[in-house]
Amino acid sequence: MPGFDFSNHTRNAALHARGVPLPKATSTGTTIVGCIFEGGVVIAADTRATSGPIVADKNCEKLHYIAPQIWCAGAGTAADTEFTTALISSQLELHALSTGRKPRVVTCMTMLKQHLFRYQGHIGAYLVVAGVDPTGVGLFTVHAHGSTDKLPYVTMGSGSLAAMSVFETQWKSQMTEQEAIDLASNAIQAGIFNDLGSGSNVDVAIITKDKTTLKRGYVKPNERSKKQKSYVFKRGTTAVLNEKVITKQEISKYVTVHELEGGEPALAEKMDIDV
Amino acid sequence: MAAMFSQNPLMNGPNYSFNQGPSTASAGNKEHSFYPYTDNGGSTLAISGSDFTIIAGDTRSTSGYNINTRYSPKVFKIGGTTASQDDATLVLSVVGFAADGEALKERLDAIVKMYRYQHGKPMSVKACAQRLSTILYGKRFFPYYVTAILGGLDEEGKGAVYSYDPVGSYEREQCRAAGAAASLIMPFLDNQVNYKNQYIPDSGVGHELKERERIPLGRNEVEDLVKDAFDSAVERHIEVGDGLQMLIITKNGIEEIYKPLKKD
Amino acid sequence: MDTLVAQYSQSDYDREQYSQDEQMELYQPEPSLSLRFAMPPIAQPSAWLRAATDDNANPNCPIKIAHGTTTLAFRFQGGIIVATDSRATAGNWIASQTVKKVIEINSCLLGTMAGGAADCQYWLAYLGMQCRLHELRHKRRISVAAASKILANLVYSYKGMGLSMGTMCAGVTPSEGPALYYIDSDGTRLAGNLFCVGSGQTFAYGVLDAEYKYDLSETEALELGRRSILAATHRDAYSGGFINLYHVKEDGWVKHGFNDTNPIFWETKLNKGEFSNVTSELV
Repeated sequence: MPGFDFSNHTRNAALHARGVPLPKATSTGTTIVGCIFEGGVVIAADTRATSGPIVADKNCEKLHYIAPQIWCAGAGTAADTEFTTALISSQLELHALSTGRKPRVVTCMTMLKQHLFRYQGHIGAYLVVAGVDPTGVGLFTVHAHGSTDKLPYVTMGSGSLAAMSVFETQWKSQMTEQEAIDLASNAIQAGIFNDLGSGSNVDVAIITKDKTTLKRGYVKPNERSKKQKSYVFKRGTTAVLNEKVITKQEISKYVTVHELEGGEPALAEKMDIDV
Repeated sequence: MAAMFSQNPLMNGPNYSFNQGPSTASAGNKEHSFYPYTDNGGSTLAISGSDFTIIAGDTRSTSGYNINTRYSPKVFKIGGTTASQDDATLVLSVVGFAADGEALKERLDAIVKMYRYQHGKPMSVKACAQRLSTILYGKRFFPYYVTAILGGLDEEGKGAVYSYDPVGSYEREQCRAAGAAASLIMPFLDNQVNYKNQYIPDSGVGHELKERERIPLGRNEVEDLVKDAFDSAVERHIEVGDGLQMLIITKNGIEEIYKPLKKD
Repeated sequence: MDTLVAQYSQSDYDREQYSQDEQMELYQPEPSLSLRFAMPPIAQPSAWLRAATDDNANPNCPIKIAHGTTTLAFRFQGGIIVATDSRATAGNWIASQTVKKVIEINSCLLGTMAGGAADCQYWLAYLGMQCRLHELRHKRRISVAAASKILANLVYSYKGMGLSMGTMCAGVTPSEGPALYYIDSDGTRLAGNLFCVGSGQTFAYGVLDAEYKYDLSETEALELGRRSILAATHRDAYSGGFINLYHVKEDGWVKHGFNDTNPIFWETKLNKGEFSNVTSELV
């Protein structure tokens, strides 16, 4: 059976009723916006993800790919926006393949609202859908309960009021691409600085008839300042109760050991280390 | 508070929905319509040295996801003879509900001032600490929703920090973090001020290893620690930011330093 | 006549100021350690207080009051041993590891602290004041029985209001010898030889009951007190920090240190072979 597994639902509801707090989902208490311009549409988002009052991710991606010319900005429960957009993206791809035409923004919006409505708001995805298709430029919002709007400029998330105040004072029709990008970016920054749920950087995606440009970290107004002190511990600072050395010979009983050529050690992943 | 009436649940204040207690079907946990408290967020921090005490606090005041103001001090000079508090010797920091904090500060200030006028000398930290405890306990059944920290110099001229719970239990300590980011800052202080979990390398094998000895920190070092602690707290806690206010109490008086913090 | 003249010849400026009495009033808005408490302006203050401060009934309560403890005291041939841990918790947060849970009421009387930290601190200070007043009035020290009864009557008068304390009064007077009382915020007052109080009480009782004899020597008794608290800090998450040890002797109490549990634990394990459930060996 595809779809959600509800087997723990009754148990969790019973526990919750007895006062056990449910696990905290990471939410993107967010500012996301969209704005159309002459020949295209721009969407933008901040990059803070929170879990309660704690910042869970300082640089997360809230602009999701749907199709080459359709992108989505997501607010609400992080997992829900991610999986809903991925699901619709794949369905839309199959749809495009079977019809042999480019996917349309309205189609995407309709599939999203039908999916979300079916789950009566339990899927906490709040989306800004934007794109360019053969019928022209499209810009919509989709709420978790399934309602939608079609507007020339939209905002969503906890910072939507701050962002909308920028649009309401500065938006004009027939903007150039650069004007629209700046306006959207300013709207996001209003959210970043005035809404606690939003923060860090501005991500922008510009969609025109010919191409889509994703500008990750378009503005970075919140770089961390340098630490005053160094917090490197001397080797041997941590107490060790016991040590055990496992030789190469011993370990090769369980796994295959490869000798590396040259003096450089192999790095699986590079990490920023405090020095 | 237009956001309160939005249909978008995300905008209805800090929506810590999964952390919220059950609003229905719970036994004996009644809803009370009388709710006189708001959490205004923010954090404070105090460290005492051999001849000084530093008390610091961020200057952001929040309610829900909104910022009330980017500059409202949480750290106050107490018991000077003038409005400017130039000759004060004590410092009080309050975090939690700002209105209660303000009321508490005013009350303590009035008492310490009267003491000074009547005795012709400033109140000692020890006496003030005890008095503050009594004030807080006086509202045991209708508490001040605040975590207070009192700082000054003791009779020997050493730095003194007293920390309180909302109803007045208190203790003299080396250092203390309070407020929203206390759980982020306090472990850092345990490690960097009291050298908890730090041992002297090569001082022994296994259980013979010796703990790193605690030495009183210098003023510049403490100032750096405070700045780093707040910079880190700002990175990971949404209710902390905007500005850092530091009061340094020495025998020559109280010095005030203001440094900007990130504003997102 | 002079006083009459003085009364009417006072300048307006003088009368503008606060009188001596008014100044005193200002100086002390209320007498210190008063019994007049501010109350929330509602019909059921205690129910409201519980909703706002009781983290057990409401884990999301806004004000978390410090809790959690292991304290013990027992009588033996050499006097009374009083021992406590030093951890204060607010919900799951360790608020402090350095709390002094033995409160020195006077040179011959000790109180212990379990439950609400502020309640214990305040009311034991109040008790100290009452004991001193008794001393001044009657020219002799108060008996432990009387002191504990002052506290018991006091907390009983606040019953149902939300005080939370479990305390022991240990002391020595010429009339009654070493005496030990347990008082809690329900109003219970018990005389006894051996008590453990707090979230870690069961763990402490386990060790204490097994090894306790009235004829313990002084060193044995101190070690037993220390070992019982250690057992409690080992198994109770809400107890820990330092072990605070006191010995009440005929001529007053003696302090036997405020020591970190961690080195004591490893010493107990490695030198005495106890706590074999814990291992530092790698498999």
